[in-house]
Amino acid sequence: MELSITVNGAPHVIDVRPHATLLSVLRDSLFLTGTKRGCDEGECGACTVLVDGYAADSCIVAALSVNGSRVDTVEGLGGQHGDLDGLQRGFVEAGAVQCGFCTPGFLMTLTAFMRENPNPAADEVRMAIAGNICRCTGYSQIVDAVRIAVANRPQ
Amino acid sequence: MVRYEGEPIAGVVAEDEALARDALTAIAVELEATPAVGDIEAAVAPGAPLVHPDWRGYDVAFDYPRNGNVAAELNSDPDPEALANAFKQADLIVEAEYRAPRQYQAYIEPKSALASWESGRYIVHTASQFPFNVRDQVASFLGVRVSDVRVIGHHIGGGFGAKLDAGLEPYAALFARAVGAPVKIDNDRTEDLLTCGCRENAVVRMRTALSSDGRILARDVDCLMDNGAYSGEMPFMASLPMHVFGQVYRSGPTRIRCRLIYTNTAPTGAFRGVSGTYLYFALERNMDECALRLGIDRRQFRIKNLIGDGEATLVGQVLSDAGLLREGFDEIERMAPWSEVSRKDASPGKLVGVGIAATTWLTNPGAGSVTLKLNEDGTVGLVTAATDNGSGAVTMGVAQIAAAELGVKPNDVVIQMPDTDSAAYDAGSQGSRTTHVVGRATLAAAAEVRQKILAIAGDLLEAAEADLELADGAVRVKGAPSRSVTLSQVATEALRSGGPIAAAGSYATPLPAFNPSCATGLLFPTFPTPTYHVHLAVVEVDAATGQVKVVRYVVAQEVGKAINPDAVRGQIQGAVAQGLGYLLYEGLDIENSRYKQRTLETYRLPLAVDIPNVESVLMEHGDSAGPYGARGVAEPPIVPVAAAVGNAICDAIGKSINRIPIRPDDILEAIDVDGRLEPA
Ligand code: FES
Ligand code: FES
Repeated sequence: MELSITVNGAPHVIDVRPHATLLSVLRDSLFLTGTKRGCDEGECGACTVLVDGYAADSCIVAALSVNGSRVDTVEGLGGQHGDLDGLQRGFVEAGAVQCGFCTPGFLMTLTAFMRENPNPAADEVRMAIAGNICRCTGYSQIVDAVRIAVANRPQ
Repeated sequence: MVRYEGEPIAGVVAEDEALARDALTAIAVELEATPAVGDIEAAVAPGAPLVHPDWRGYDVAFDYPRNGNVAAELNSDPDPEALANAFKQADLIVEAEYRAPRQYQAYIEPKSALASWESGRYIVHTASQFPFNVRDQVASFLGVRVSDVRVIGHHIGGGFGAKLDAGLEPYAALFARAVGAPVKIDNDRTEDLLTCGCRENAVVRMRTALSSDGRILARDVDCLMDNGAYSGEMPFMASLPMHVFGQVYRSGPTRIRCRLIYTNTAPTGAFRGVSGTYLYFALERNMDECALRLGIDRRQFRIKNLIGDGEATLVGQVLSDAGLLREGFDEIERMAPWSEVSRKDASPGKLVGVGIAATTWLTNPGAGSVTLKLNEDGTVGLVTAATDNGSGAVTMGVAQIAAAELGVKPNDVVIQMPDTDSAAYDAGSQGSRTTHVVGRATLAAAAEVRQKILAIAGDLLEAAEADLELADGAVRVKGAPSRSVTLSQVATEALRSGGPIAAAGSYATPLPAFNPSCATGLLFPTFPTPTYHVHLAVVEVDAATGQVKVVRYVVAQEVGKAINPDAVRGQIQGAVAQGLGYLLYEGLDIENSRYKQRTLETYRLPLAVDIPNVESVLMEHGDSAGPYGARGVAEPPIVPVAAAVGNAICDAIGKSINRIPIRPDDILEAIDVDGRLEPA
């Protein structure tokens, strides 16, 4: 079946199987492998992308249900030449990346969250990322990354 | 014979996953049910079915005590008379049993492997912590020479010990040759959980003989560890109690029997901190119970029995610097004075408790190597089979060392991904060995590269080598910075005189001396390059719901030298989170030889809202063997966590809970027993 979506600003028309998930379309049809598959059951958040601006676990989103939508993935966060956005730089500076497998999901969840809450308290950040699992870092440096990104944001 | 749920029996290769799953349903397997045993205590009971009826005929690499369902057995050899006398003369004997469940590593990237068969060789791509081990295991599975297998490592989405052994790689290689095309196998989460070599479940029984003035006179320890259906490295783990019960506290004559038991369950394996996590839980819970029964302050009781500089452990290994344990207690005291944290100003309905625990751990000594080369643009190429399992040990630690020695920026060290064809042997990302061992190898390689650079630069600059320094990607004459050549110029000149600049370095930690007659079945005899740790936890328990909140967590850790302090803190924070998960939320329950938890929905991992900011102090007493004195860092901060937090919870509720995990229901049940602590 035919799926029309705009991914990171670029329009795509893709032939998909009826039950294909958005995650499998992103990874296996568009080869955007920055979005990770950690569980395929909506538990870990590694597959988080933005659908029309809202964070969603792409492994439990039927691709055809987002026909006509705008999807943003981690590949779209930085600039054209591989330069990082403010939140990504915060992650680097805070040491918020260990194995890095969870990182794209956290970045997308926090990108959506910080649009609504540009200046969050640490507790609010912890609540916001409660749907993303990181097995490596113990989360503190991810919370720090948000603080650093906020502090470094051009006023 | 199928011995556990998840054991490979047949495979299907197809062009995509959906087809493969369809084809699987076409395979009919006829199995005849035979009696199984899924529980370690049942497996050692008389008349239990044997998991391996033919165990006697097995070919083991070297012999060690085995018997029926006992896959390996360790027995210490204390002076029997001294042991008996100590128990006879004891003023108090404290006896208890401690239990721990399996813990799933739950790295966020499930295992996968891609293999092909090209020009008579197997090429395997995998995100492994230990590519050379995978090479050896694939070769042995296929019955080919190790050099017929090439393993190429990739970025690892977490491993924590579970990606040290081969998993899917041997099957991918077998199928690739059979179908004549590259074959990829991906675990889904449930497949991954069911077949992962989890931390083993265990039962530890202990009797401790005490004098009324607070000395430990003797101990008798009996451990049962679950091996699962097949053994990999697990027989080595049966030795761990010999270390744990003699390298923190003085314990007098100590009898240890540890049996590793076959069951009809998935094979267990390495998880950060291995058996140490629950052995220290047992030891430190016991220390609290002893102190309480003696009426002595729990911290004082520990300090009184701590081993010191130059004392020998139960295996006869002399710990020249064990006095650092005492320093660890002092550091903790500076950050969180015991009298203050014990004051327990609880808010209504809450119970506050404090726990403390100490650990001595090791730095894995396994061999490693590095080749460094100077590229023609002045960057440094680094070739090693050491892998980065998320700790930054290669991409930060080893690269930083090479950069510092050769005067380039860390970003100008170009690291090749591990490849068993191009790099020499490396013992894998385990036991915090990479910065220590591979860092040492890097120093050796860098010294030689540096020498070659200086020789050429000396000619170019017409200066004595002794007058030169390496900095900012150049060689300069000391005191005359305008006289310099870039490393790029040096590398280019080398092509005309003597050839390209490259050198290799290797290292393996020399093993400490020990007493081979201290025990039988001692496969893991020493703890090289020891590290010392003291952890303190303050918890708040909700008396109505049994919920535990860790309000403070404080770590003092001897690291030798922190090469990258932020990364060290990150390792401590992450390890404490895994330890809290172990104690408070995780655990695989086994029912009829099967796991009850089968997805990340039912296997509850710690979330951001569960984990406190860990306060840590890094103690830096340079150990001369490591680079700049660095010791292993990343593995051990998980080891004392269950012990410290378990003690804090028991202190809060005034009751003993001697099993992991401690969940709200367990707390409510313990509180309710005599109604002494009414929920507020
Ligand atoms: S892969 Fe989608 S939530 Fe885990
Ligand atoms: S950094 Fe490894 S899972 Fe988060």
